[in-house]
Amino acid sequence: MTKQKFIKIYCLSLTIPFLLLVFPLFSIANRETPFIIGLPFSVFWVIFWIVVTFIIVLFLYKIDPDKDEKEVH
Amino acid sequence: MAQWQIAMIMMIGYLVVALFIGVLAGRNQDKSSLEEFTTAKGNLGLFVMWFLMGGAVFSAFSFLGAPGWAFSRGAPALYIITYTAFAILPWYIIGPKIGAIGRKHNIYTVAGFLQLRYSSRVIAMIIGIVALLASIQYLATQMKGMAYIFNIMTEGRIPFWLGALLSYGIVVVYVATGGLRAAAWSDVFQGILMIVISWTVGLTIVNQLHDSVPNMFRNLTQDNPGFLQIGAEGSTMSTMAYTTTILVSTIGFLMWPHLFSKSYATKARTIKKTVLVYPMFALFLIPLLFVGFSAVNVIQSDQIGSPDEILPYLITTVLTLPGWVYGLVGAGALAAAMSTADAITHSASLEFTDGLIRNVKKDLSSKATLLIMRIGVFVIGGLAYFITVFGGQGLIALLLGAYGSIVQFAPGVYGALYSKKITAPAVITGLISGTVVNYYFQLVADAPPLDINPGILGLIVNVGLVVLISAFSQGKEMPMAEEYRKIGS
Repeated sequence: MTKQKFIKIYCLSLTIPFLLLVFPLFSIANRETPFIIGLPFSVFWVIFWIVVTFIIVLFLYKIDPDKDEKEVH
Repeated sequence: MAQWQIAMIMMIGYLVVALFIGVLAGRNQDKSSLEEFTTAKGNLGLFVMWFLMGGAVFSAFSFLGAPGWAFSRGAPALYIITYTAFAILPWYIIGPKIGAIGRKHNIYTVAGFLQLRYSSRVIAMIIGIVALLASIQYLATQMKGMAYIFNIMTEGRIPFWLGALLSYGIVVVYVATGGLRAAAWSDVFQGILMIVISWTVGLTIVNQLHDSVPNMFRNLTQDNPGFLQIGAEGSTMSTMAYTTTILVSTIGFLMWPHLFSKSYATKARTIKKTVLVYPMFALFLIPLLFVGFSAVNVIQSDQIGSPDEILPYLITTVLTLPGWVYGLVGAGALAAAMSTADAITHSASLEFTDGLIRNVKKDLSSKATLLIMRIGVFVIGGLAYFITVFGGQGLIALLLGAYGSIVQFAPGVYGALYSKKITAPAVITGLISGTVVNYYFQLVADAPPLDINPGILGLIVNVGLVVLISAFSQGKEMPMAEEYRKIGS
């Protein structure tokens, strides 16, 4: 995978959870019920997607073709 | 022994340890090296880096302000953890690139970074001044937090001016002597302390008031429908304001010089691994939000001076907690405020020296520069202290304006990284116009149109002008434009 391609994948895959946490898409979750694991739905939704984001970044790091950014030009 | 005495002893004990760690970290390092003072020679390790960046999250705002937001505003407080989780993510891509450019050209500030790319001294001078004013505002908030916590935990026995002087004085001493490395190691200690305290004390409060977290939320949704729903009837924030507040915080985060410049302080791999764990730092703040939620309907808002006082108020007045908990919370809040204040003081001195002083007086040796930076730490510390303690309305408005304009650096920075077409006049005009627009809608106008965050309004004007003016001002040589774009991509 080239670096440019990785950057594209990186930006796209992290924009998605971000958009789910701001309006208009956040309207899906902007309510109090149902309660999940004792949390109102909106609170659960935000925490859930932050955890998913954490997992996505871990995965992205794993497939990063150039973790050290070797400075050769 | 009275509770306030236990609390005071613990807080002073904490301050002694913080001073000790800070001074110790800078020991055995080359005291005459500009590079050591500014970027810790670019070799900070992963563990330290986590907390150095994390220190930005664990501030007086998160410790006192986050419970305050949750208490007074409800669901909109979720914006805090949302932006914290996401704001760091661009650093994975731009951090290594900025670091590579910095290493090649010996840059250690935002001002220096933009000056070289745009061949413009004016840009560097503007950045130097704005960074200084914005940092003083930021410091004033942290210092108020420290002084306040000292005051309330000792039941008024340590006055405001003394609390601020004690805690911030220690920050100034270790930053001036040990530079970035001292700030970094103090942040490790302070970060761990704050995480542990927010979880233990936060959940204790929830359990004492409502038995459990689910119970708390059940009570809250029954008694205050709409409180946990943004933009609903009874909500305190519109959906547009919520979204644009998250946006402006996310974009602005990395533009803060004390975070931006950390790109120079470590290797690419460390930057990436720091980004990796950062969303978790956002989750560490959750119990602080819960504290705020738990106080709704238990405390009436007229019982406290401002919502920010909710956490200390609960501990000292409402709950029956032993004195050592007072002390722990006091130490945690001090840790939060100090770990932010050290990084800000350090970078404000760097930006001002590098951006303004070195452009006014051009032939400074690196030895003289280092000396000015060290003195700068004391001067900035003193200024922030006097503004906090004596403050003046006009002055505070000016500082708030500067604070809001940090995000306006973004078009210049991203333009430098990814475009060779953006020109100096475009960036300068954009930056100034964006700042003015933000200032107008934040402090002069009654309400911004559509409830959009003033910073975003400024940014729209800023980006528009940068694109437009760049198209008309091509021609002047920008030898670095192509190189900036190519490095690390």
